[in-house]
Amino acid sequence: MLESAAAPSGFRSRNLGDPRRHVDVVLAGAVGAVLVIGLLLVYSATRRFGDGNGFVVRQVAFAVVGLAAAAGLALVDYRRVADWWQALYAVGVVLLLGVLTPLGTVVNGTSGWYRLGPIALQPAEFAKLATILAIAAYLGSVDRVDLWRLGAALTLLAVPVGLTLLQPDLGSALVFIVLGIGMLVVAGVRMKHLAVLVSLGFVAILVILNSGALDDYQTERLTSFVSPDGQSYNVDQAQKAIGSGGLTGYGLTNGPQTRGGYVPEQQTDFIFTVVGEEFGFVGSSLLVALLGVIIWRCWRAAQLAADPLGTLICVGVMCMFLFHVFENIGMALGIMPVTGIPLPFVSYGGSSLVVSFLAVGLVQSVHMHRFS
Amino acid sequence: MDTNSTQVRLSAIGIVALCLFAALFVRLWFLQGIDRQRFEAASESNRLRVVHEEGPRGRILDRNGRVIVDNRTTIVVALDREPLRKIGEERRQEVFADLADTLTGLGVPTKLGTVERRYEDQRYSPQEYVPIAEEVPEDVELFLAERADRFPGVVVERRTVRSYPYGSVAAQLIGYVGEINEDELARVAGDGADPPPGDAPVKEYQPGDSYGKGGVESAEESTLRAIPGRRTIEVNARGEVLGEIDRTEAVPGDDVWLSIDLDLQAHAERLLAAKIRSLRGRESGEGTLNAPQGSVVIIQPGTGQVLAMASYPSYNPSILVNGISSDLWGQLNDPNNGRPLYNWALQGTYAPGSTFKPITALAGWRAGIIGPGNEEIVDAGTYTLTDCEGAGCTFQNAGRKKLGEVDFARSMSVSSDVYYYRLAELLWNDRVRLGDTPIQDAATDFGLGVETGIALPGESPGRMPTPANRRAAYESNPEVYLTGDWFTGDNVITSIGQGDVLVTPLQLAEVYATIATGGVRYRPQVISKVTRPLDPAEPPGQAGNYEVVRTVEPEETGRVELPEDFYLKLLAGLLGVTQDPDGTANGSWEASPTAWAMGGKTGTAQVAGKADSALFAGWGPVAAGVQPEYVVSVVIPEAGFGGDVAAPLAFRILAPASDGTLPAACPVAAAGQCREAEAQAARASLGDVGSGGPG
Repeated sequence: MLESAAAPSGFRSRNLGDPRRHVDVVLAGAVGAVLVIGLLLVYSATRRFGDGNGFVVRQVAFAVVGLAAAAGLALVDYRRVADWWQALYAVGVVLLLGVLTPLGTVVNGTSGWYRLGPIALQPAEFAKLATILAIAAYLGSVDRVDLWRLGAALTLLAVPVGLTLLQPDLGSALVFIVLGIGMLVVAGVRMKHLAVLVSLGFVAILVILNSGALDDYQTERLTSFVSPDGQSYNVDQAQKAIGSGGLTGYGLTNGPQTRGGYVPEQQTDFIFTVVGEEFGFVGSSLLVALLGVIIWRCWRAAQLAADPLGTLICVGVMCMFLFHVFENIGMALGIMPVTGIPLPFVSYGGSSLVVSFLAVGLVQSVHMHRFS
Repeated sequence: MDTNSTQVRLSAIGIVALCLFAALFVRLWFLQGIDRQRFEAASESNRLRVVHEEGPRGRILDRNGRVIVDNRTTIVVALDREPLRKIGEERRQEVFADLADTLTGLGVPTKLGTVERRYEDQRYSPQEYVPIAEEVPEDVELFLAERADRFPGVVVERRTVRSYPYGSVAAQLIGYVGEINEDELARVAGDGADPPPGDAPVKEYQPGDSYGKGGVESAEESTLRAIPGRRTIEVNARGEVLGEIDRTEAVPGDDVWLSIDLDLQAHAERLLAAKIRSLRGRESGEGTLNAPQGSVVIIQPGTGQVLAMASYPSYNPSILVNGISSDLWGQLNDPNNGRPLYNWALQGTYAPGSTFKPITALAGWRAGIIGPGNEEIVDAGTYTLTDCEGAGCTFQNAGRKKLGEVDFARSMSVSSDVYYYRLAELLWNDRVRLGDTPIQDAATDFGLGVETGIALPGESPGRMPTPANRRAAYESNPEVYLTGDWFTGDNVITSIGQGDVLVTPLQLAEVYATIATGGVRYRPQVISKVTRPLDPAEPPGQAGNYEVVRTVEPEETGRVELPEDFYLKLLAGLLGVTQDPDGTANGSWEASPTAWAMGGKTGTAQVAGKADSALFAGWGPVAAGVQPEYVVSVVIPEAGFGGDVAAPLAFRILAPASDGTLPAACPVAAAGQCREAEAQAARASLGDVGSGGPG
């Protein structure tokens, strides 16, 4: 429709369909801003390791790789990418399977990494994208989500959820579930079905908590959130860091909690405590707002998308980011249970950063190719 | 796919996202805007540690500024048990074995078992470092400091401890320093019992701090203790120090100058020890001379300053600087060992025997029973109470010695008991006029029966029996006592310092100091002044290197009215003890005379079932118009006759002081040079001669 509206101007009509004219600059700008803030925070959080700028340099390298990959992906029509969904999904599942074998490396009791020389690859991150593509491609190709199709979509979702739980990586499993639900909702699953699904989910959570399938530390993290007495050390220290930041914070690298290394996993899962302590309410709000802009642009891209496939891809990415952001910051603020998932574009870690870039690349592709 | 429915559902998801973000902002504002201060405080208490630093104690000097108690640094290897608990049983065992081997290899013999026992030792609180090896050489400190990773939880500390350049000299007098215990902590913290005077800074304590125990260390704790320093440091999550935020340096404690003359003290101790060693095991008519303990007190009359206070047996306080094992504690308090920790000079109580007689004489003189023209009797060796029949009615001189015609002065010189028996009976018989306690009243005037008030802990009041307190004791516990009544015989034995009369050697010295000054009583003092060094690097006693914080002035505590007639005769009698050929201490004075004449009195007190206590109390010089310089009291229980044992010791102690030939005290570092002096003291002790009689 827009194409025809632009038709009278012959000169412009030739270029209107050119995807390169439709880059979401706001999204790109927000990502860039968050990335820069993230690098500063990683720098501050890792200074005390005595590794010089090692962490920042590596993070920059990952960002360059991610940016290149995202740019490349954005230029490719997302429909062409979606054509490959079976293969991509299969690779994702194989990687998730493989990490459970001795090929995977166990860190903190979770078998979630492939160690390739100096780089540790987290297959769950890539599987998230593959799963988004798979569900989007499948649900985007059907006109109605009946019980059978719902079942099929749930199966596509259940495989990575099950495999990440086996690692066990509760946080990633939750990400799959949340992005799956979001995509199902937008795809038009019937509310009745959804209600049953959500109820079943609650029952499943209770069963899992009481069955001993989770390791003690995971149960403890989840229940410590419910019962504030047993509030864990991590959360306690995280809140001290954020709370003491006040309005404007101590200034970069001057946060006492950060300098003293009181917050565990500070450069990764608890990186938000650095901005909280060193830049205060002003800085934290800015970061949250920028992350909000990224999510808003994903949501907007979903709205503007040319087809259900594009809409669903954007919704999947949006929900993924939304959950990452809310869970990661929420746990640092003490309103969400502690699960180890990174803050997109901010937390130190190659897999997360590259996949976040790829996800934004996909959204850009949807946005850019909405007229073609 | 229904577009409308998709838009609606997308909107729903958008609203969910907005809500979630709103929640994040609200929570963020709650933490950083509203509750900021709470978290700021929590964050500070997290990372800031206030380290309390004790600072060096003041030193203890003799009256001439020589350092008797100093400070030195010692290196201690200790366990910090918190990290050791965390590393787990297996690794801990490895560390312990490695530590024991390493220390042993570096010349500090350490058993694995000892390390394990200390680790388990419940007497230390969990935060406290548990010492493994003390007095460790510096290279061990370096070695361990460089290998902190290999020895987790092993800390090397430098501690400031006391050092004693003169070894055991004045040990009980100066006391010792130990870790403050819970009772003491409660006392210094709690009721504000002794708040610092004026706006003096608070010298607050923490567990593990040092605290004076016994002697001057205890009495002058608040002077000697440093004003603790405070260091605020920032630590990281692993407890490593990141930096110092704030620092207040400790202010060293003030130096305390004793009234003690170190040379005289050391000399008195050496002779006392030699004397007791030479006595032990000898047989006497009354039993074996065990001489379990002994003391010598030398006071400056006219000021009350204690110049020497020797108590035997002694100990070297340097064995206590790294804590006291229960074994050692037991030994130092073992009665079979003479209780070396006791300061017998003020904690020991003894029957004064004949040294008490001047007091009885004063009572008699006051009552008019003896006096001008009314003071001569014939001493037939025994005295039988009038109107009394039976064996218990007759009292005798020591050895039933017939002393013939005896006046007041001679009764002192030759120590006639009969003279005082008669006096005591007459005093008692006239009690309607004189009251029950003329003797005790005179004794009270001289300060007996109550503490002298010397500023040292643990002083005994002695005991002055009266009819009233005997009755009170009997009524409160009739099972224990034979009777609550007071008989003439009680007055009789009290008159010669026997029965229930008990005095400390310090009280005895005070009585004779009062006599020497013509009746003025001064409180005995061991502190002369308190100073603060101007240049801490220079010796604290060096002239011009200190400012005086406080000077202890002589304190008059009373006056005893001594009628002139009485006093002159008393002096003549007490001078006769050493100068009269019949005097009880004449022989021993002749054997080791002092440069000037001394007055004094011997005492041989009988103790049931034991050999006699030997006493001498006196002073010198005794001459018209000459200020007396030294008052001395010597008390050795289970030692024999006062004239044979105590008097010669007193003379030999004061002889070099009287002619300025006092040998210098021997620092531990030069102990070898003092062997000859020790040997001389031992030979002289064996050669003591007396008048051959008790009294």
